[in-house]
Amino acid sequence: MAVTAAAVVVRPITPVQASLWSDAWRRLRRNRLALAGAVFLVFLTGVALVAFVYTPYPMAAVAVAAPYSGPSAAHWFGADVIGRDVLSRVMVGAQISLTVGVGTQLVVLAIGVPVGLIAGYFGGWIDSIVSFAVNVFYGVPDLLVALLLVVLLGHPGLDKIIIAISVTRWMDMTRLVRGQTLALREREFVEAARASGARPIKILFGHILPNALGPVIVQATFGVPAAILFEAFLSFLGLGVPPPQPSWGSMAADGLSAIRIAPHMVIAPSIALSLTLMSFNFLGDGLRDALDPRSRR
Amino acid sequence: MPTPILQVRDLRTQFLTDGGTVTAVDGVSFDLFPGESLGIVGESGSGKSMTALSILRLVPDPGKIVNGQVLFHDQDLLQLTGEEIREIRGRDIAMIFQDPQSSLNPVLRTGFQVDEAMLAHGKSKGEARARTLELLKKVRIPAAESRYKDFPHQLSGGMRQRAMIAMGLSNAPAILIADEPTTALDVTVQAQILELLADLNRELGTAIVMITHNMGVVAGLCSRVLVMYAGEIVEQGPVEQIFENPQHPYTWSLLRSIPRVDALRHERLRSIEGIAPDLLHTPSGCRFHPRCPFRIDKCFTDEPRLEEVGPAQQAACWVTMERARKEMGADGLKDIRPGAASGVRPGELD
Repeated sequence: MAVTAAAVVVRPITPVQASLWSDAWRRLRRNRLALAGAVFLVFLTGVALVAFVYTPYPMAAVAVAAPYSGPSAAHWFGADVIGRDVLSRVMVGAQISLTVGVGTQLVVLAIGVPVGLIAGYFGGWIDSIVSFAVNVFYGVPDLLVALLLVVLLGHPGLDKIIIAISVTRWMDMTRLVRGQTLALREREFVEAARASGARPIKILFGHILPNALGPVIVQATFGVPAAILFEAFLSFLGLGVPPPQPSWGSMAADGLSAIRIAPHMVIAPSIALSLTLMSFNFLGDGLRDALDPRSRR
Repeated sequence: MPTPILQVRDLRTQFLTDGGTVTAVDGVSFDLFPGESLGIVGESGSGKSMTALSILRLVPDPGKIVNGQVLFHDQDLLQLTGEEIREIRGRDIAMIFQDPQSSLNPVLRTGFQVDEAMLAHGKSKGEARARTLELLKKVRIPAAESRYKDFPHQLSGGMRQRAMIAMGLSNAPAILIADEPTTALDVTVQAQILELLADLNRELGTAIVMITHNMGVVAGLCSRVLVMYAGEIVEQGPVEQIFENPQHPYTWSLLRSIPRVDALRHERLRSIEGIAPDLLHTPSGCRFHPRCPFRIDKCFTDEPRLEEVGPAQQAACWVTMERARKEMGADGLKDIRPGAASGVRPGELD
């Protein structure tokens, strides 16, 4: 067998330029449920945005259809007690739910991330105070706190609801970030950063946080549906967004009295709510698997 | 005699544990001269790493520096505020660590991490970037431009350690402390890294403190060496002198335990009898006496101090190897159990 030099093919080895994010994205795409969830949420966001400029009927206009009338070609989701178009109201309700869900998580992130980082990194009395506060807030019933806050903050409105829910929801994120920080601060690269004279703020946000970002994103994704559900619950109790603003929770509450004659009034917002919650949870699950380096597939 | 740039005086670092107080560094004093390379050797737990971390005040909890001075340009680093010592770290005294795998942040690009060491000390982004590329070339990383953008896991262990060295040198520090920088690397890469450090030491005049348990590393790189045992310096002096004529029995045992290529085939690898002392219960007298073949009665009760045993060489030993050679036949010694050569309570491992 004659082997010539020409037969040696130099095949360039292409290194896998897989950063954490591209790797995670690749794995997320393979998870069908998570992908379906993401698609639905994109659709829902589109609906919520469209609702700013267009709804089939004005969401507060009464008697655009016969009260209690069921789904029809003109009113896909039927009409409610005073003849308002349910589809239009579900569309505007999506705005409320997404705003509350995402808004709450932004507030929770803004509190939980820095507080968790500082408590975990510096330890000592700061950590004792933070841990104590977390335990106190876990100890009192969240519904009671939220109800009290909604009442105390006066004029009902979305911002008040977001604050009320955030106050009952910041502990999970704080505890998660604190725990991650406790583990990460012992890592050698943190010691190396300290030895190179990095400022504490740089170590916290430049070295520790990027390494904890995966769990933080997952936690925030699961936090959104929890907040949406909480808002629906508050609205169901009549303590949510003020009428005539429609919330999926208050719409379901309105329909409950007429559930025998007009079940669509409960079913339409409930399905919207369920699909949204499910989508966030599937997406959260998918992100958890995708961002966890130990679940490499 | 030039003036030292770093003077460590009677440094004592303790850990308050549930079991009691562990004195990891116990009254260590030494000088470091500009541009020299000083080796600190000892077994695991001898306090060599803690000595280095104490200099930069990076001792992990629950450790505390309880006594001493670390004079750098006549200012005591132990008295500085947190912000002042942060300024010193990385700018005047840099440190590189044992495991290059874990001392680079896995989610940040390698070059960016070298930049950061300079950004922390007031360089602009553009300046830092240009210097990083220059440094990556200086530490002989091939294709520096593309390596700059790589994540640490895309580099080999040797390259990662080179990147760490680049980071350490980025602010042109007067002192580079290297804490076992070659331990996690394979032997050929070890040699390359040592060669690189030696070249940088010569070219840039950076003083190097090399912390290692490997006498071979010291022989290859350092001009002077401190031998630590159980938190104390037991012997110090110029490298050739220590290698040719060690005066402390511990140094002597360490040197005998280096595997040799030219050893006779039937010869067994020598080790040191016994184990390193538990620092919660430090032995009385000389801390090495429970493992020392040459111990005399005094070693059980009185703690020896460092004394001149040769030109610029000091050892803390009541016997010293000179006497052990003359009186106890140390050179031909086969039995190295404690007390075996001196006959003082031989054989027991107390």
